[in-house]
Parts: sequence; C-alpha cells; structure tokens
Amino acid sequence: MSDDKHDLHSPAPMVDEVSEFEVLELAVRELAIEKGLFTKEDHNRWTEYMHTLGPAPAARLVAKAWLDPEFKKLAVNDGVKASLDVGIDWINSMPTNFGTPSDYCNLRVLEDTPKLKHVVVCTLCSCYPRPILGQSPEWYRTPNYRRRIVRWPRQVLAEFGLQLPEDIEVRVEDSNQKSRFIVLPVRPEGTEGWSEDQLAEIVTRDCLIGVAVPKPSVTANRKRPVRRAVNPYHH
Amino acid sequence: MSKPHYDRNHHVEKATDIGDPQCFKGEAGKPRFKVGDRVRVRNLPDIFYTRTQGYVRGAEAVVAELVYESPPAEDESWDNTENVEWFYSLVFKMADLWPDYPDYFPNDTVETEIPEHYLEAA
Amino acid sequence: MPSSIRDKVHRHLDICRQIQPALHQETHAPSPDMIDNAHFRAYTRSPHDIGGEPDIPITWEEKEEEVWEHNTFVTCEVLAWRGVWNAEERRRRQNVEVGETMYLGLPYYGRWLLTAAKILVDKQFITLTELQEKMDEVRKRYE
Repeated sequence: MSDDKHDLHSPAPMVDEVSEFEVLELAVRELAIEKGLFTKEDHNRWTEYMHTLGPAPAARLVAKAWLDPEFKKLAVNDGVKASLDVGIDWINSMPTNFGTPSDYCNLRVLEDTPKLKHVVVCTLCSCYPRPILGQSPEWYRTPNYRRRIVRWPRQVLAEFGLQLPEDIEVRVEDSNQKSRFIVLPVRPEGTEGWSEDQLAEIVTRDCLIGVAVPKPSVTANRKRPVRRAVNPYHH
Repeated sequence: MSKPHYDRNHHVEKATDIGDPQCFKGEAGKPRFKVGDRVRVRNLPDIFYTRTQGYVRGAEAVVAELVYESPPAEDESWDNTENVEWFYSLVFKMADLWPDYPDYFPNDTVETEIPEHYLEAA
Repeated sequence: MPSSIRDKVHRHLDICRQIQPALHQETHAPSPDMIDNAHFRAYTRSPHDIGGEPDIPITWEEKEEEVWEHNTFVTCEVLAWRGVWNAEERRRRQNVEVGETMYLGLPYYGRWLLTAAKILVDKQFITLTELQEKMDEVRKRYE
C-alpha cells in the first residue's frame, strides 16, 4: 500500500506494532479459557468448522434446483431440509449440535422468476447465511449498502452492474430476525444440457445475495477493489 | 458479596438436535393473522433495543408467510424466553414506505419479518 | 516512557474531537425543557436502525480478512455455545450499546470483539482489572 493513498479514513497499516484489536482478541480468548468458560479445544473445533465454510454448497443447491423441479419445490418450502442434499446440516454440521448461535437454523430460499428479482440485505446488522455461504463480503456489511438498498434498490443494483427492466418487481429481503436467505436466480439461457457441476460454477456468491444474475460465461464475482489485511487470514 | 448466577445451559439443552427457532415450535399458541391478511406495524417505543426497523413502522403490509415461533428479540436479548410468539414475513410496497419512490416501479417491494405483538389489523 | 505516553494522550484528545459527528445543535447535556419528545426518541434510538437513511454512492470493496477477525468470530460463537450469552444479546450489545460513534467508527468484527470483552466483565466472569492487566501483558509479549 503506498503512502499517498492515506487519508483520514485509511490510517497507516500497523506493521511495526501489534494492533489493539490483536491484543484484545488474545486477551479475551485467553481469559475465557483460563476462567473455564470454554476450552482451547472448543475454540479449535469451531475454527476447523469455520475453515469448511464458503459459497460452494449454496451454488450447488441452486444448480440442483434448476435441474430437478421436485428439489426446487423442497428448497423453496424447506431450505433447511434441502441443504442436507448439498452437505449442509443447519443443526448438526457445527460443533454445537444446535446450529450456529449467530445464524440460527431457518434458511429461506427466495425464488426469482422472470417477473421477480430478489436481493438480500440486513439493515440492522449484517445477518448472512454463513453455514451455506461463508463469511459476508465487506460491501454487504457497510452502512451504505444497508441504508440505501431498501430505499433505492434499482440505483444500488445498477452500481453492481445489474440494470433491471421496469416490468420486473424488485423485492428487497431485509434479513432482520432469525431467518437467513439465499436467492435462487432464474437459470440463464445458453445453459441447456449443462451438468450440475457446470451450472454450479456460474452461481457466484453475488448471484446468491442477489446483486448479480448468473451468466453462461461468468464464473466469478465482479472485479472490485480489495482492501488488504495487515495480518491476513489464509484459508 | 455474592455474584450473579447465570443459567448457562438452558438454551443448549432446549435446542440440541432441534435447532433454533425450531426449539420454540408449538409455544406461541394460535396465530392472530393468516397469509394474505393486511396488517399495520405498531410504533412501539424503540428504547434500548428493537429489531423492528424504523422504516416499516406505521406502514401497511401483507402477510406472506408465518415463518416460525420465537421469543421476540427485545426479550431474548436479555435471555427472557417465556413469551413465545409467531413471526410473520410481511411484504411492503415500496410506495407505502417511501413517498419519493418513483411511480414507474409500482410493483417493487420489501419483505421482512416482524413478531406478532408489533402487528395490528389494517 | 512518560513523554511518549503524553504524546499519545494529546493525539488521543485530537482524534476524539475529530471523530465527533458534525452536529447542528448544541449538545452540552441540556436541561429537560430543551429536549422535546422527538429529540428524546432520536437520542435513544438504536444506532443500528439505519435502513432508508440517505447516503451517497461509494465504491463497493472486497476485503481480506485479518486473523484476529476470524478468531473473534470463533470466540463469540463459542461463548454462545457455552451459554455465556445468546446471539440476540450479542447483537444488541455490539450494534446498539456501543453507541453511535463506535457503531459507525469501528470495523464490523471490531465491535464483536469489544462486546466479547465487555460481556465477560459485565457478567463478572472476569474483573476489569484482570482484563486490563492481561492486555498489558499481551502487548508486552510483542515488544
């Protein structure tokens, strides 16, 4: 990172000293273990579980739903049950055996149609279906996205590169309680005869949040600037 | 001086192998509203905590789905889980939320989940 | 080194003044007759409730994750697993009780982290002195 990029909102990277966040993180974790609130083993087990998370199962769920109308019905009616078919048990995949505390166990799959387009936000925090989609992207957590998408959805979607015709209903899903959401987009033209693997490839994380739609030639999220970590986590 | 005692096991005991909100199923009684009903969101005080967004208060919506039973967030946030109620997925017309929403997109909507005690028949 | 601590103190006071939101009215703990009901509601609202607030377009960014962010997420989930709090209590504390300035001023997982520390103190699982001494000890490991 070059120095000329620094302004009030991008303080110098803390390369020469340990950050307050790092100090506090270690202090809290060590104290909780010393006091017997949880064990080192608990923390390690949850870390291992977290390593397994990412958007692949959600993409697979969409691909399956495109290929199998019965499975699509199940996905829309009971997202938790449908998740089992892509290897995600919302109750028992994680060490707790009661789901993840923060993401609960009520996945809802929002089916787009040629006349209806869903997009997901959590205006109150940044609720996100981590068990089936991994950690949320930075832009999803910004107050800016959360402020604007519920009021100016078409403008915000256009900024993401998605221009929607007037006759399509935009439905913003504000994930504010215990349900978590993924979007089941319309299968794009040009994918006739494709296998489940091929289809899953074009269902990107952005498609599953609803700020993009799948295209036969696109297998990655739109290119955006990346804010580098001082001490990055390697998966 | 004695320290407060927190019951650290009750949630894990209730939710293990069942999940949350599934563990509250059957505790809310009969729902007051059904799919298709028109409801209005009450403007209760939002002092200290709420998960009923300011922008839906006083607005009318249609019940799209009865999603689950749970204590309301305002109670559960202090670990009060005795009063379980129905949660409704509501669909609001953008035009009913934002006076400046453009006329040429009359079908655009917001969907969000609100607990029963926040709702009255419209 | 006392002089460098004093430098830090002075820089801290400068930053604190700079990060205060630009207010359009005086806020020096006014007398009750100066706070009407609308202002009471505004001051006591939950700072996380921002849906529909006007804002200008920004550049949408991705971000690499810091190690401490991952560890913080895991710590918070494990604290809930072992019954120290539930997710709703965590959400209230980290999104509302931190107050407006910290809410908008700190990173997402930074608020999770502060809240995890605070719950241990608030519920008397640790004393504040223990936390402060532990932070000091951890920092010294890196000097």
